[in-house]
Amino acid sequence: MGARELLSVNGLVVNRGARKVLDGVDFSVREGEVVALVGENGCGKTTLLESMAGLHSLSKGVVTRFDGGNESVVRDFDGNRGDILGFGLTLQSDGICGEETVRERIITAIRISGHSPEDSVIDEMLSDWGLGHRASDNVSQLSGGLRRRVAVLSGLAPAVMRADPTVVLLDEPSEGLDKASRELLAGWIRSLSSLGHSIVIATHDYEMISVADSVVSFESNGSLSISPGESLGNASKIPSPTTMVDVSRFSEFINWAWRMEKRNPIDTIGRATPALVAMLLAFTFATDIVRSTENYDLIAALVLAPAFITAVAAPALLKRLSEERVGDWWRAMTGSWSRATFSVVGASFILPIPILYLSWFVIAGDIDSSTNDQVLKWLWLPALSIIDVSAAAAALHLMVSDLRRASAAAGSLLLLVLVWPFLELTSALATIMESGMSFELAIGEPLSDILISSFSAVLVWGVAVIIPDE
Amino acid sequence: MRGQESLGVKLTLFGVSVATVAALYALFAAPSVNAEAFTAPDAYRILYFHVPFAWSSFLSFAMLFIGAVMWYIKRSEVGWIWFQTASDLGLIFGLGVVTSGPIWGSAEWGTPWDWGDLRLNTFGLLTAVAMFLVLSRRSQPDTPATRDTLSAIGLFGFALVPITALATTWYQERHPGVLVIESEDSGLDPEIKTLLLLSFFIFCIIFAGFVRLSNHRYRLAAQLEQLKSDLDKGAIQ
Repeated sequence: MGARELLSVNGLVVNRGARKVLDGVDFSVREGEVVALVGENGCGKTTLLESMAGLHSLSKGVVTRFDGGNESVVRDFDGNRGDILGFGLTLQSDGICGEETVRERIITAIRISGHSPEDSVIDEMLSDWGLGHRASDNVSQLSGGLRRRVAVLSGLAPAVMRADPTVVLLDEPSEGLDKASRELLAGWIRSLSSLGHSIVIATHDYEMISVADSVVSFESNGSLSISPGESLGNASKIPSPTTMVDVSRFSEFINWAWRMEKRNPIDTIGRATPALVAMLLAFTFATDIVRSTENYDLIAALVLAPAFITAVAAPALLKRLSEERVGDWWRAMTGSWSRATFSVVGASFILPIPILYLSWFVIAGDIDSSTNDQVLKWLWLPALSIIDVSAAAAALHLMVSDLRRASAAAGSLLLLVLVWPFLELTSALATIMESGMSFELAIGEPLSDILISSFSAVLVWGVAVIIPDE
Repeated sequence: MRGQESLGVKLTLFGVSVATVAALYALFAAPSVNAEAFTAPDAYRILYFHVPFAWSSFLSFAMLFIGAVMWYIKRSEVGWIWFQTASDLGLIFGLGVVTSGPIWGSAEWGTPWDWGDLRLNTFGLLTAVAMFLVLSRRSQPDTPATRDTLSAIGLFGFALVPITALATTWYQERHPGVLVIESEDSGLDPEIKTLLLLSFFIFCIIFAGFVRLSNHRYRLAAQLEQLKSDLDKGAIQ
């Protein structure tokens, strides 16, 4: 076969604990080739496919893509990840958040791969896959089979839109599909292959194996054997490719997260509720006695506590990303800076300022007017620092969320490190209340305390984001 | 089916029109309260909305209770439609209460909210329950298990109604007592009492209109879902 390589895997070693799941795997996929990965349960098919998507850290080896004539490292054993454009990926779990509509999901999958198709093209695809009447339904309202159709279509759609050859990775795509959908899938795979795209399928399904041009079998000794496939199936009619547009994958993720939050504001409510309860309790404690003793540290701590609680609460984004492995799908799409992006998007930007001002009115509202004026004028500064604390907390939550078992919940104790910035902010607010705002950069001055708070939060964020990811 | 929608529209439009006239009357022509008994006597006029909002919210939760019980006992689709409508209305009228109340509180008490007042806080909780029900219904898959869970929370919400209603009798901090029943004690003009009852009657018309429209909408949504399910079979040619 004279076609050029689109993806290569060299000397791949992937461990799970002490066990080598993949041991020195060499493998490549050429233009127009349909490859089926077959083998017993636990042999490493999914691990290999997900490694090709850059989802697993490698003990040795490198995965490289050659889409668009450029060579890019998907991932190597040093943790380096190149700038890979979004691509077609269907995970074994659907990787779709239930709050997305069917249409949104397909558009997101296409846009992240650098295309912006017209509505009619999306309509055509959805109609072909029997999803036209479900276009505006939330994915959570669909049956398992329909949901799987959406997942498979979102894996295929980026390649359909792309004029130059690319790679599509499909993990057990036919699982849960009915006969008509499986036949359609086979037809689309053959069509994509005829246009030069490569499709890698991890499967147990004979129907899917028979579509492949080559079959890669995992032998019991861990080696791979490659045999020619049957290349069965007739190409279906698929929509025509569109030209590429400049799309930022990170802004696509931000848009997605914002859309989900607007549809169901669980982050805002989940953060605001404990903050309001804390405010109620703080109000109970902040009696006239506390105020009359001019115990500024105590009042400052009580005023800041609700906003701090808002900041350290687990972001709802975490739940959305853990649903059906949505986070893994986005990690594959956004590449090396995924955790940094997730933690910034997961931070609470909206609530700290209003919660802090509300908290001031509720807890210390009737304090003397000169103090009140100074605090009202400068309270936004500690509120901004609390946003930094929120990003650090989100990064810690994300880091712990990688430990999947429930016992890892104790990892939330790491959040205690954020008490330090909180104490710095308490000191800053107490000083503003006592002596007014000052812009001197000396220890004990409010601006210094706020900067130290932000700096320490950014440090925690950096440690949580960069070290484990690389 | 079409008649239901038409009646709902008529009731709602009539209710909103009369409410607009009543609002103008309340603002400019209703009798004033005893200036010595109130810190901000003019601000009391917002009560012509605040009080009917509260009563309509209680009505919504009563409807929610009936819907939840019908769903539990009979697995009744009609019961579930009532539940959906009632949770929407509970949220709308609840938000009406918790926004109009603090406006009056700011003028009369000098603070929009009193965390120590049982009535205020139980009403806040009641509205939060309605909000939870609406958001959860929209985000969760519509399965019997989801409906069971939401119905149970709806029943909890209804249990809050008598606590909220009687809160001022049991434990009065800031919020005034039951205005209409105890209006003589509160120094309210009998005409004001009549106007409050009239406002509530107008809100009942709006409530009935909303119920008609919303029930109609949810019936259509259920039919649409059935049609989509039928289309799911054989949708791939």
